[in-house]
Amino acid sequence: MKKNKKMIICFLTPALLFFLLTFLYPICRTVLMSFFSVEAVNDPMDLWEFVGISNFVDLMNTSVFQVAMINMLKIWLLGGVIVLGIALLFAAILTSGVVGKSVYRAIIYIPNIINAVAMSTMWINYVYNKRFGLLHTFFEKIGAHELAMTDYMNGEIKFYSLLAAFCFGSVGYFMLIFMSGIEQIPQDIFESATIDGANKIRQFKSITLPLLKGVFKTCVTFWTVSVVGFFVWSQMWSAPLSSELSTITPFVYMYNVTFGTVGSTQRDGGLGAAVGVIMALVVMLVFGIMNKLIKNDDLEL
Amino acid sequence: MKKNKLKLKRQLSLLPGHLVVGIWCLFTVIMLLWIVAASLSTSPEIMKGEALKFATGFHFENYVRAWTTNNISRFFMNSLLYSVTAMIGSVLISAPAAYVLARFVFKGNLVIRSSFITAMSIPQIMIVLPLFSLATRANLSGSKIVLILLYIGMQIPYTTTFLMTFFAGLSRSYEEAAAIDGCPPMKTFWVIMLPLAQPGIVTVCIFNFMNIWNEYFLSLIFASSEKNMSVGLGLKSVLTAMQYSGDWGGLFAAVVIVFMPTLLLFIFLSRTIIGGITSGGVKG
Repeated sequence: MKKNKKMIICFLTPALLFFLLTFLYPICRTVLMSFFSVEAVNDPMDLWEFVGISNFVDLMNTSVFQVAMINMLKIWLLGGVIVLGIALLFAAILTSGVVGKSVYRAIIYIPNIINAVAMSTMWINYVYNKRFGLLHTFFEKIGAHELAMTDYMNGEIKFYSLLAAFCFGSVGYFMLIFMSGIEQIPQDIFESATIDGANKIRQFKSITLPLLKGVFKTCVTFWTVSVVGFFVWSQMWSAPLSSELSTITPFVYMYNVTFGTVGSTQRDGGLGAAVGVIMALVVMLVFGIMNKLIKNDDLEL
Repeated sequence: MKKNKLKLKRQLSLLPGHLVVGIWCLFTVIMLLWIVAASLSTSPEIMKGEALKFATGFHFENYVRAWTTNNISRFFMNSLLYSVTAMIGSVLISAPAAYVLARFVFKGNLVIRSSFITAMSIPQIMIVLPLFSLATRANLSGSKIVLILLYIGMQIPYTTTFLMTFFAGLSRSYEEAAAIDGCPPMKTFWVIMLPLAQPGIVTVCIFNFMNIWNEYFLSLIFASSEKNMSVGLGLKSVLTAMQYSGDWGGLFAAVVIVFMPTLLLFIFLSRTIIGGITSGGVKG
């Protein structure tokens, strides 16, 4: 037993050390920092000035941050319904016994493994291009000249062109999770339902969906985490500027405030930390609500 | 014969499904193929919308230009360095921890496990500021080492959790046999248990490689100069430069260079990768 103790310590220490330095310490310091006014991120603690919750109050009254939060909410809600909806639909189709399932599955997953900068470059400079883009060419071909002239990178539509491209890349991952959930449902349930005369759609509604509750919970949590981390896409859509109101998210706002490349905003580390804390709270809140709403069934998936 | 007909009939009834998924896949494939085609065409051809005609042949010099003039080579090598070192580093550190957590009952085991799982959903935005000041105070900012260390750290919760399920699935009889033969437990791990977990290690290595290859934010914050930039950042700077040079062919060639490594990995190992996501893995 004593030998084991030595081994446990030797084997765990490096991992714990890394964990301490890259997660535990930063989390604590960010929480602390959010209650202080900190000019530069790397200022030592004795230069910090305690301001209570005023960072949070300031944020709530900052119109740019409000816009960023609303954008995030829109991405979360609208994008979430679209992505999880399509993912579930695709999962249902691919588990229904179609030929070529693994090829379909692989192709749908491809956008997830491609670098986000490369992916958004393809969308912006090819799919959405006004002169030779995929959508432009397609609408020209079918004679919808008006539609072919759409400018996806300006005006009101810009946010939605961003959302569509982001959603397109996210579907594959959630589809895989749904698929593995569906495949874990015992086949004999479906068989006896078929004998009882329930058709495919009825089976999906009465068997698959209720049994996927747990999987659904996981998906919503992961989706929230990925929306909170929404950064690259927003930056790509506002390039050459580093941010722009129509596509700004809290993450981008935090970057501007703390690493301030934009002239007008003053640098404030404390404010940036407060954004981080709010985002972590958002994730926790969603997680809590999902746990309250959906109780885990006996059938753990 | 009759069986075939039955099969065909069944697929026919699934036609709407085929159609929906098929169109989606077609779109993805067209997009990728067009980018590859454009990367082999001249800029005027691309502008005229004739990227798929190759009227003047294949222009591989786009790749040469992207690789040398646009400096993609440097970003490529940087990302390769980050991905490979952090991939190896995180496994070397996580595998022993995962083994101990899966095999032994001790105080704090459960706490460590659940902290690692929680850490996986902590937004980066929450931890990046202190990491930045830590790196500055350790005089590490502006070096490649800080990114490598951070990437290792970022992957540890996921790698450990993933490998834990693998070690838990290995039979204890290996260790018992080794103990009878007089092999000390630590040696048993490195010589016997680690090789046995190879399938899991390969999978987690692929994931870590792809995650780090595609990472953007940490690289933006910590690669202060162009010489440390990863492919994502580098591609963005190529994009900015393209706005002035109008070199579309070079841009698309750069895009292809950036996505090719992960795409090839995925094409050859898609079974392992998809299996990994749906079984033990929880992170994409």
